[in-house]
Parts: sequence; C-alpha cells; structure tokens
Amino acid sequence: MDSFWMKILGFVITPLVAFAVGVTYGGIVRKITARIQNRVGPPIYQNLLDITKLYSKKTAVNHGVMQHLGPVFAITASVTSLFFVPVLRDSSFWFNLSFDGDLIFLLYMMVFGSLGMALGAGQTGNPNSAIGVSRGLALMVGYEIPFVLSLVALMIQFQTTSIHGLLAVQDTFSSWIIFQSPFATIAGILAFLGMMHYAPFDVPFAPAEVASGPASEFGGKYLALMMTSGSIFTFVKLVLFVNIYFGGAEDLLTLILKTFILYMIPVLTGIVNPRYRTEQAIQFFWKWPTVFGIIAILIVVL
Amino acid sequence: MEITYDKNAQEILSTIKSFARKSSLWVIAYGTGCGAIEIPPTMTSRYDAERFGIRGSATPRQADVLLITGYLAVKTLKRVIRTYEQMQDPKYVIAFGSCTINGGMYWDSYNTIKLLDKYIPVDVYINGCMPRPEAVIQGFIKLQELIMNKKAEGAAKYKENLEWYRENQRKIIHNWRMPEYNW
Amino acid sequence: MVEIMISIPVIFVTIFVGAILTYLIKLIMPKVEAYFALLVSAATSYMAFALPKTESIYKFNLGSFNLMWGNNEYSHLFAMLVAVLGFFVVLYSMDFMAGKVNLGFYYFNLLVSIGSMLGIVYSQDFLSLFIFWEIMTWSSFMLVIYAQDEKFSVGIKYFVFSAIGAYLLLTALVILYTNSGSFLLEDNINNFIYLSSQNQILVIIFLIIGFGVKAAMMPFHVWAPDAYKAAPSSFTALFSGALSKMGIFGIGLVLFKFAIQNTDYFTYFQFALAWLGGITALLSTFYAVFQTDAKKLLAYSSIGQLGYIIVGLAVGTPLSIMSALLLTILHGAFKAMLFMSAGAVYYRTGLLDMNETRGLIRKMPLTFLTALMGIITVAGVPPLGGFVSKWMLYEALIQSNYYFLVIIIFVASTAAFLYLYRFIFSLFLGQEEKEFENVKEVPIKMIIPMLLLAGFTLAVGVVPGFVLEQISKAMGYLGIQTPNWENSVLFSNWENSSVNLMSVATSIGILFVLGAIFLTIKNYRSTRYVTTKDIHTSGEVPTENENLTFAVNFYQPFERSLGSVIKPSIDRIFNLIGKNIESAADYLRYIYTGNGQTYAMYVILFFVVLILFADLMFGFKF
Repeated sequence: MDSFWMKILGFVITPLVAFAVGVTYGGIVRKITARIQNRVGPPIYQNLLDITKLYSKKTAVNHGVMQHLGPVFAITASVTSLFFVPVLRDSSFWFNLSFDGDLIFLLYMMVFGSLGMALGAGQTGNPNSAIGVSRGLALMVGYEIPFVLSLVALMIQFQTTSIHGLLAVQDTFSSWIIFQSPFATIAGILAFLGMMHYAPFDVPFAPAEVASGPASEFGGKYLALMMTSGSIFTFVKLVLFVNIYFGGAEDLLTLILKTFILYMIPVLTGIVNPRYRTEQAIQFFWKWPTVFGIIAILIVVL
Repeated sequence: MEITYDKNAQEILSTIKSFARKSSLWVIAYGTGCGAIEIPPTMTSRYDAERFGIRGSATPRQADVLLITGYLAVKTLKRVIRTYEQMQDPKYVIAFGSCTINGGMYWDSYNTIKLLDKYIPVDVYINGCMPRPEAVIQGFIKLQELIMNKKAEGAAKYKENLEWYRENQRKIIHNWRMPEYNW
Repeated sequence: MVEIMISIPVIFVTIFVGAILTYLIKLIMPKVEAYFALLVSAATSYMAFALPKTESIYKFNLGSFNLMWGNNEYSHLFAMLVAVLGFFVVLYSMDFMAGKVNLGFYYFNLLVSIGSMLGIVYSQDFLSLFIFWEIMTWSSFMLVIYAQDEKFSVGIKYFVFSAIGAYLLLTALVILYTNSGSFLLEDNINNFIYLSSQNQILVIIFLIIGFGVKAAMMPFHVWAPDAYKAAPSSFTALFSGALSKMGIFGIGLVLFKFAIQNTDYFTYFQFALAWLGGITALLSTFYAVFQTDAKKLLAYSSIGQLGYIIVGLAVGTPLSIMSALLLTILHGAFKAMLFMSAGAVYYRTGLLDMNETRGLIRKMPLTFLTALMGIITVAGVPPLGGFVSKWMLYEALIQSNYYFLVIIIFVASTAAFLYLYRFIFSLFLGQEEKEFENVKEVPIKMIIPMLLLAGFTLAVGVVPGFVLEQISKAMGYLGIQTPNWENSVLFSNWENSSVNLMSVATSIGILFVLGAIFLTIKNYRSTRYVTTKDIHTSGEVPTENENLTFAVNFYQPFERSLGSVIKPSIDRIFNLIGKNIESAADYLRYIYTGNGQTYAMYVILFFVVLILFADLMFGFKF
C-alpha cells in the first residue's frame, strides 16, 4: 500500500519537476540569448509568467473539436513520454512506467503529440498552420534518419532496445556511450538539433514567415496548455538524450547539470545562426549526420 | 470569517493574475504609420523592452497589446478593428504619437482618422512625433501600472459600448464588410 | 445438427449459389438483392467462423486428380479476415452502391470474389487453389471495370499482370506435379526435396512472383494504384484489405512450407525478398506523398504496407512473422477503414481529388473519427494496433541483423506521416467551404462497419492477445516456433525490451481525459466557436469564395529536398516501367480482345502448350 502511494506520488511529482525545470530552462535560454545580444533580458521566471498570463486569459476561441483537443494530445504525449523515461538512474521513485516501454515505443509516443497538434492546427483552416505542419513533417523525415541510424547502431552494439539496458551498459563499462561509440553520438546530437527546433531548424514555427506556424490560431488556454506541454517535452527530450548518450544521472543536481549543458548545444547553435529553408535543413540532415550514422553502424557491424 | 478568507484568497489570486498579465505583454505590432520604425530599437539591444516582459507575437490570437504606431488611414482602420477583435480578452491598446490623438500633421487629411479612441478603446497614449523608444517604454510602464491597479479595462469598455463604437466605425468605413462580432 | 451442416462444401454452395440467386433476384425484384446479398455473406461469415478446424477435411476426385479442402489454423486466420471484411463490405455497399446501375452484376461479383477467397484459403491442393485464384482474379477484374467503361485499359493492365502471375503459378504447379504426381499440398511439401535444386529455385521464384503480383510486390505493383482507384470504394476496401492478402497467404505458404526445406538457398531468398519488401515500402511511401487523388494515395500506401508484411515474412524470425501476420489482419482493418472513409467522402461530395475536398470534419464527424483512427494505426502511433505490429517488426529486424533494412523501414514509416496527414487534412480539415454546406454524415449502414473496424484497431492496440492467439496457432501450422506473447505485453528476445500496452493505454487514457476535462471546463462560458473564415489574415476579411486552404503542392519543400537526388530517379523508373508496361499492354490488346471466348481459348491453348512442354521437358504423363 505504501509503495502504491509512493508510485502515485511519483506520477504527480515527476511532471511537476519536469515542468519546473523546463520552464526555468526556457527562461534561462531567453536570458542567455539576451546576454549574447548585449541585452539585459527578461527575468529567468519569465516563461512561467507568460504561461500564467495565458492561463488567466478570460476568453478563448476555437474552430472546432479537433482544435480544442489538439493541445490535449500534446500534453498527453509529453507526460506519457515522461512517465516512460527513467528520470534518475538508480532511484525507483523516478522510474514511473519506464520498465513498461522501450526506445522504439518512445520514438512513436513522442510523435503522438505532434500528430494531435498538427490535426488541431489543420482544423483552424489557417494556411500558415498548414504550411507549418507541412514543413514540420518534412523536417521530421530529415532528422529522423540520422537519429534512427544512431539508435540502431547503439541497439545492435549493446544488444538492447531499452533505456534501462543502455544505462546498465554505461554502468558496467563505467564510461558513457559518447566515449564508447562517438559516431553514433555525433549523429544523435546533430539530429537533436533538428528535434529541438532551434535555429537553423526553426522553419516550421518561423514567426516572421508563417506567423508561428501551427500555433498561429491558438490563444489563451490553448496556447497555455501547449506551452506547458512544450516545457515538459523539452525536459523529456533532454533526459532521454542524457540517458542514452551521457550515462544518465544519479541525483537531480547531476541531471540538471547534464541536461543544461546538453541543452546549450542547440541553444547556442541557434543564437548565432540564421534559418535554413526546409529543403536545406533536410539536405543538411541527409548529408553529414547520416554519414556519421552509417559509419557508426558499419563500425558495429565490422 | 470564512467570507473574508475567501475574499482574501480571491484578491491574492487576482493580484497574481494581474502581476502575470502586467509582466508578460505580448505585442502585436501593427505597423500603421511612421512610428513603426521606433519598435525595432525598442525591442533590440539598445533599449531592450524584453526586460519588462514585452515580446513580439506573431498573430492577434496570442497577443495582449495592440500598438497603433501613428496615423491611421480609414482603410487601415478596418484592419485594425478586425485585428483588435481577434485578440483575446484581456487586451490593451497603446496609441503612438499625436496622430492618434488629434490627427497630428494629418489633421486636415481626407482619409485619416483624428481620434482613435472613438473607434477602439485606447488604454495609453504616448505623445510625441514620434515618441522615442524611452517614451515608448515609459508608455508600457504606465500600462503596467494601470493593469496592476485594474484600470486598464479597455476591452470591457468596448464590450459595453459596442454599439457606440460600431456606429462611429460604420460612419467612417463605407464599404463595411465585417463578420458579425460575437463575444 | 448445426455442426453437421457447417462444412466447407456448404460454405461454397451458400456463397456461390447465393451469388447467382442475388443476380436473379435483382432481375425479378430490384432493391431486395442487397438484403439478400447481406444475408448470404452473413451466413457465409458465420459458417467460416464456426467451421471446426482440422477435422473438416473434404476429399474428392476430379478426373484423375485427388483434391482436398480443409480448414487449418493458417487458413482460419485468413478466412476470418475475409469473412469479417466481406460482410462489412457488403453492409457498406448497401447504401454506397444504392441507385447505381448493374447492381445484380456488382453483388454477384462481390459475393463470388468473397467465396473464391475462402476457396483459396480452404484449398489443400494446388489445383483447386489455382481454380479459385482464377475465379478471384476474374471477379475482381469485373469489378475493376465495373464503373469505368471508357478506361478499359486499367482493367486490362490488371488482367495482364494477373495473367502473368497466374501463368507463372501454373508453370510452377506443373513442375511440382511432375515431381510428386499429385496436386495435394501435403504430397508436394513432402516430395519437394526430391526436385532438382534448379527446379526448386524455379518453382519458388515462380510461386512467389505469382502470389506477389496480387500482393502488389514492387516490380509487379504497376496495376495496383489504377485498379484500386477504378474499382468502387466499397470493393477497394475488400480489394486492398483482403484480396491482396491472398498473395501474402501464398507467399507465407511458399516460404515456410517449401523454400525453407532447401537450406542452401533459403537465406538468399529471405535476403532478396526482405530487401524487395523494404524497397517496396520506401518507394511506394515516397510516391504516395506526392499523390493528389485520395484513393491513389491509399493505394500506394497499401503497396507500402504490403511491403512491410513481405519484409516481416522474409526475415523469418518468429517475432517478425508474427508481426507480419498481425499486420496482415490489421492492414485489412485499417485500409478498409481508410478506403471506406474516402468512399464516404466520395458518396457525399462526389470528389476524391485532395486539392478540392476540404473541411468536412464538422459535417462528417464519425467518418473523420474513422479516418483519424485509421491514420493513427497506419502511422503506428500508440495506443492503436499499428504500433504493436510496427514494434514487433523493428525489434525483429534489429535482432536479426538487418541493419540497413531497419533504417529503410523506419524512414518509410516516418515518411508515411506525410501522406497520412495529407490525406486527413485534405479531406476533413482546412477551410470549410460553402459548396460543402449541405453535406451530411453518411447513412448508418456505412458508419457501422467503419466504427466497428476502428474499435478493432483500438482493441488490438490495448489487448492484442486475442489476435495473437490465432496468429500463434497459424504459425504453429507453418511450423514456426511462437515467440513469447501475453495478452497485453509485447516481448522481444532482449532483456527489458518489452512494452506493457495496458499501462500505455491507461496512461494515455487518463491523461487525455483529464486534459480534455480541464481544457473544456476552463473558461467554458467565454470559449466560443468561430468559423474557419475567422482566422489571422493580417486584418483582412476573407470573402466567402476566397480560397485560403493550402492544399496544392502540399509537400513542395519535401519534393525540393528530394530534389536532384531521388525524386527524378523514382519518377524516371516509374515512368519507364509505366510506359513500357502500357505499350506492352497496347500490344496485348490485340491478344486480349475483351471477348471471354477468346480468353477461354487462350487458356486452353496455354494448357496444351504447357502439357506438351512438360511432356518434352520432364516426361510428364497423364
């Protein structure tokens, strides 16, 4: 009974922590961006204020049930993915459902939200949304190739498809996967750039081109839920990558340190880069990241 | 006792809400007149409006503040009204420069409006021709004060006096082809 | 009493005589024939379900040939697919086809094709399998040309490919018969090892091509998009859902009953077939992305999904075969759902061009729901059934060292999101137009099969056990060890690599409901609905006739990025194949006159030639 309530507590606490960390990271990113641009920048709790403000909007409009449910799909996908990722390595409190699914499941679970959002954006009838979705899906085909190459290389090398398996491998060899198979890591990190949708790969959401793309008709509570889900999802992706390539973390502090450093890769890349067109972005992913991925697999095979 | 507690809780909640609203103003910059040129310096490194939580937003659905940056031609007014009505409540309007107050240097023009407040409710006017970024930021801070004191109720005013506003709008916009507005 | 009545000949008599009666009833009492057809298919489906396995073997002699019909676990799996889909398609047809011409002809061919599919799966000998195979080809051919008199070339293309397949099948059968002196499946399996290895390879290649044509395997897929498009949507659901699965049925039989005996060559076959399936999946997915016709898009998608199935079968580990057979059943369900919802849109609007249809979601919510669940299943996103088969396939591929094939399959299924979104967006989402103002939801008889199938995909996604049970039995018949499976937990051979579908479904379900409740009650009063004209258009007020939908060239950036590398070469290959086939078909028109008697003569001539050939080559004697 006690362990049951501990488990329930885990299900409640984990999303809250994920949200808190994700939101704070969002604020820190804005601060860092501002400092790089020689500005003062907003306070680091700015994203929390934004979300609170959106939740306290008095009105909201939708174009139908699918748009109404779009953000629900998103939050479902991000929180479910969170439950299936082991947040900390050895603490069962943070495991939640992570023994009930594996990496392939996660790959597909993470798409669930985007699919729902894409459908919701589709119902608004805004051409910008549709263009954004079209670009986003095309971009996904781009970065999925190096990412899958990288994951398959790891799966074959270590004979496991579960995150716990990869963590155990890094534990037994006491060296992170980045040192054990660097090429797979490079391919994975380059795909990660696309996944985080920071510049130069922010073409689906470009505010100046397609009026923030899929989100352009969402306001008030809908946008608030989307941003909540986005914060959690950022955390999920970071924890997933830390677990896969950087040996996971044993306590929250290490986790925050590692995820923060990892997060800085797309952020710092994004700040100094302009935006790729969709086809350029896709072709980028299909060149060097794919080559690295293939090298990673060949190394394992040969 | 219970009632006062409830009141306190509500007050705290509404203060939090007001604080959040005040410190996160997403601006849809409707570049109507020459004042639009003052927006980039306000937002970028020199004056950095983001430190007050002021940020640009792409569409009216996401925005809180509508900036009317200068003179408004009748043709543009129609689009401004439409944009304003697409924004979500609570929403605020900041009007730049003399043009929005009395027509400014366009006071005798045949196709610009003289007083913006007759058509959409303005919360803050920033005078000057054009207001410099410092003045713009000052205007925003004034708006933040109003929000904190719950005096920035332009949207409620618009809702109450919709007929009066409509009458004024229809008087000046001749090819009125707007969808019916439902709250 | 009932047990005695239900036997394979009774099923055949019911459906074939029922088909003829339907045709006659149409002549006497129009409008009743649909109900009669429904009755016939319901009776057949019931009997197919209730048919006892293993015991119901029926032997008889035709001339000097011993023939045998029987029901085994493998047959039963496919028979259930055919029975369920057949019944649903007849139910769907009742309203979909109402008011069309030649309904007697339509129902006759529909029932005959259902009957012949059951015949194929129940055949325990090659001769009756071949006869039923030809009946199936013929009846589906009739339905392909049913609606399109002016585009006869589509039907011809289908018929030519089917004929090539059938002749290859026949050649293989003759070789087999020469060897074993019997058409019985069992005898041939037992005597297969005595064939010379050259002939073994020949037989397997011929059989795989013969069956593969129906499954639209890559070099032989050319007929499929046009034929799927030309047939009425109700029949396309069966065509793609069940009829193409007969090819899979055959390939499974060939691979695991025949080819597996020759261990020298089996791995090469596996390898070649797996890559063929992978390339089929990849190319047809890319090709589906650029379609503008909803049914053609689904047709290419269908080819791609059959590619996955072939990959699963060819890889040949227990897990991959289980995933292939599960996908076989699931593909029957979800492709029928998608074709039926496309058909529902066509029924109400008369349009299938995805550049023209839009914004039907609020007019046809249940059809939208079906299409939504269909695309989620195709995409393989949890918690619906597609995920189960996709997961098994990936695990199997990774564990059996098909490194690059798994990448190809992954890319294909990621790219599948593109065309799936295109499909649902163009039909149901986007701007709501005035011209579709009076569109209503389709009648209940069309809704019921769609929703039931949608419920099935959900059930498979949460508790796949009830399908996996039958599949593992079928694998037992094929002589393959069954992988671990539980009611709602997926296992692979590697440690920790399992997915508990129940907790997935619970998590998604609870979070979704909580989220939906929260979002609905929050600001409930001040949340308002606005039309799709009320969007951010920089303040402009769009007029009613203004086209604001982004539908034409939907994936232009993607097309550009494929750009100089892949797109033209795919196009070139396809065009080349298409052109050659079409010109070949033009020549064949002189042979295929469209006159049944000529065809009959050709078949007889071919038999004569074959027998002479067999006599000379193998010393074949009657």
